[in-house]
Amino acid sequence: MKRFWSLLFLLVPIGGVATFVAAPYFQIWLPEDVSEHGRTIDDLFKFILYLTGIVFIITESALFYFSWRYDATTNADPVKYSHGSHALELVWTILPAVTLLFIAVFQMEAWARAKMKPPNIAPLVEVTGRQFNWDFRYPGPDNKLYTADDIVRTDGKLYLPVNEEVLMKITSADVLHSFFLPNLRLKQDVIPGMDQSMWFKAKKTGGYDIVCAELCGWGHYKMKGRVYFLPRDKFDEKLKEMRQEQDTMRVEVPEEEE
Amino acid sequence: MNRISRSKLQISWIALVALVAGCDAASPPAFRLNMVEAVSRETSPEYQREIANVLGALFGTPDEPFALPVTGLDGAKLRMAAGPAWSDEKGTTVGLYRKHCVHCHGITGDGRGPTARFLNPYPRDYRLGVYKFKSTFNPAKPTDDDLHRVLVNGVPGTAMPSFALLPGSEVEALLEYVKYLSFRGQMETQLISYVYDELGEEEEEDENGNLVPIPAPFDPASDGDQREAVMDMLADVVAEWEAAGEQIVVPTEATIPADERSPEEILTAIEAGRELFYGKRANCATCHGPTALGDGQQDDQDSWNKAHKVFLVETARQAESIETREAQAGLDAAGQQLLSADRAVFGVWRKVADSLYKTRNAIPRNLRQGVYRGGRRRIDIFHRLYAGVAGTPMPASGPASPGAQGTLTEAEMWHIVDYVLSLPYEPPSQPLQALPVNVGEVL
Repeated sequence: MKRFWSLLFLLVPIGGVATFVAAPYFQIWLPEDVSEHGRTIDDLFKFILYLTGIVFIITESALFYFSWRYDATTNADPVKYSHGSHALELVWTILPAVTLLFIAVFQMEAWARAKMKPPNIAPLVEVTGRQFNWDFRYPGPDNKLYTADDIVRTDGKLYLPVNEEVLMKITSADVLHSFFLPNLRLKQDVIPGMDQSMWFKAKKTGGYDIVCAELCGWGHYKMKGRVYFLPRDKFDEKLKEMRQEQDTMRVEVPEEEE
Repeated sequence: MNRISRSKLQISWIALVALVAGCDAASPPAFRLNMVEAVSRETSPEYQREIANVLGALFGTPDEPFALPVTGLDGAKLRMAAGPAWSDEKGTTVGLYRKHCVHCHGITGDGRGPTARFLNPYPRDYRLGVYKFKSTFNPAKPTDDDLHRVLVNGVPGTAMPSFALLPGSEVEALLEYVKYLSFRGQMETQLISYVYDELGEEEEEDENGNLVPIPAPFDPASDGDQREAVMDMLADVVAEWEAAGEQIVVPTEATIPADERSPEEILTAIEAGRELFYGKRANCATCHGPTALGDGQQDDQDSWNKAHKVFLVETARQAESIETREAQAGLDAAGQQLLSADRAVFGVWRKVADSLYKTRNAIPRNLRQGVYRGGRRRIDIFHRLYAGVAGTPMPASGPASPGAQGTLTEAEMWHIVDYVLSLPYEPPSQPLQALPVNVGEVL
């Protein structure tokens, strides 16, 4: 078939664009955003996606045009060799360089807010990644971590207050992990021996996924958890309940079944 | 020429079909026999087969588990947990054990799945029916609640993760399957002992009409006495598990410290706990070390490792005995015969010994890390002290059964709970200043 290859390569931009256009209708687009800052991240993501998308369509179309126009089976014109164009070289070096520089400067504030300017508040929880579980340590009534009244949970369920700035400390007990909250657009690599923090304000109550986003060993896939955002009073109640459970000194003996 | 190539083509087709069929017909997973137990008890291959048959009749296979009504196990839950991992369109998942547990705990529940080798501590071997983290007296079985807590909270400090995010019904199914594997493993050990201890020899006529002794066959299907014995064993195993609920350690209400205590009261309790920790009666410091870093006596093993260690030592002894005799000149005919018989036995032992992982010592817990494998509720720590940690060198400070006498009183144990829980938060320099008055007796 004539021009088979050029048509085949045309399917790449068509399929590529179609995938992105159709994705939201098949629920394979970005997960629900429940954070205050997530909007910025999503806007950045979309901006870069559109920018690269346009470049993608232009370059793919050019690629298609050349393979169509100069197909060896149909093109009888003699081959012309050109030895580069200084102007063209300048254009496609400077244009991407300027674009990249623009992106670098444009996102600086978002990066700084997400990674460099922790709020000046006490951490509400310490997260420890270990092969293969997320453990959570809440400061007790004294609001200080690493004191005798801390509450430590290993059941993979993290409770946090909603509509409130939250600061978390993140550490690792063994190897590299990455604490990923897809619904909050936050991800923080966890490095043993390094103290890291994460901060955000959630806008919606409910339970959302926690996953490990750094291959940490054979059990990486089962290293997941769930974060629950509760109104402040429910959160305080939950903390109290967990504290009482930790202080339990009695056993509940099940009733004899007759 | 044409014919040859056609026949060649046919052969390659047959080979291809055989290969594909061979892949499809991979044998379904089967329970492995406890070879350490079987070989130490001189179980012959015939007996091993018969024991496997009896276990198969009692418990089915990993794909089709089966539990007699007497076990009280829920067949529906077992079927949900067993078999290949698979989920239907509605999202109902079956084969849960193989999805979540098998790669560490193994298909037989022997704690020897493919990833077990890389873990420290090794995953639990369910076949002994011994569980560390429970609320019952030391020799008693765990309650369902105890197993449930381990599944939901995981075991911090080990590779056992939490399964709290699974639907409740799935956790229940896994719990049932763990018990099932324990029942099966305990029965296996008992059958091996039964064959070793109880079955004698029978006489049978050979083709010349002479009476020769042969080992009595183990066939409960046709032998009523044997059937009864097997069912009795099963009933005993089940009874022990069912009695767990009556064996729960319930602290005496009067000795439980008040919920709200002043800092001074807590400090006094901690002081009393420290005194006991270093004292001769509680004797904690011997193993957990004078600094509580777990650096005391470290050369003991838990039951699981000890069984393997004993086996390995015996294998080494046999190897040495054979080597010495081989080096000896002038062995008489009887000696030669004995040597070759011993060599055959040693061959079996060595094969099993080679399949075992390196045994590990039980390292006392570092109490300054604040990691509590069996849970960090105050009652959990109290239970560890009261009943010890079953299967490990950690002894029970309380009585071994209801009504008996323990080494420590409950009030004393609560003091130690306070002391242990305060250890992770003690400044590193404090232990030296805080050495107790009876330090001379310790060091």
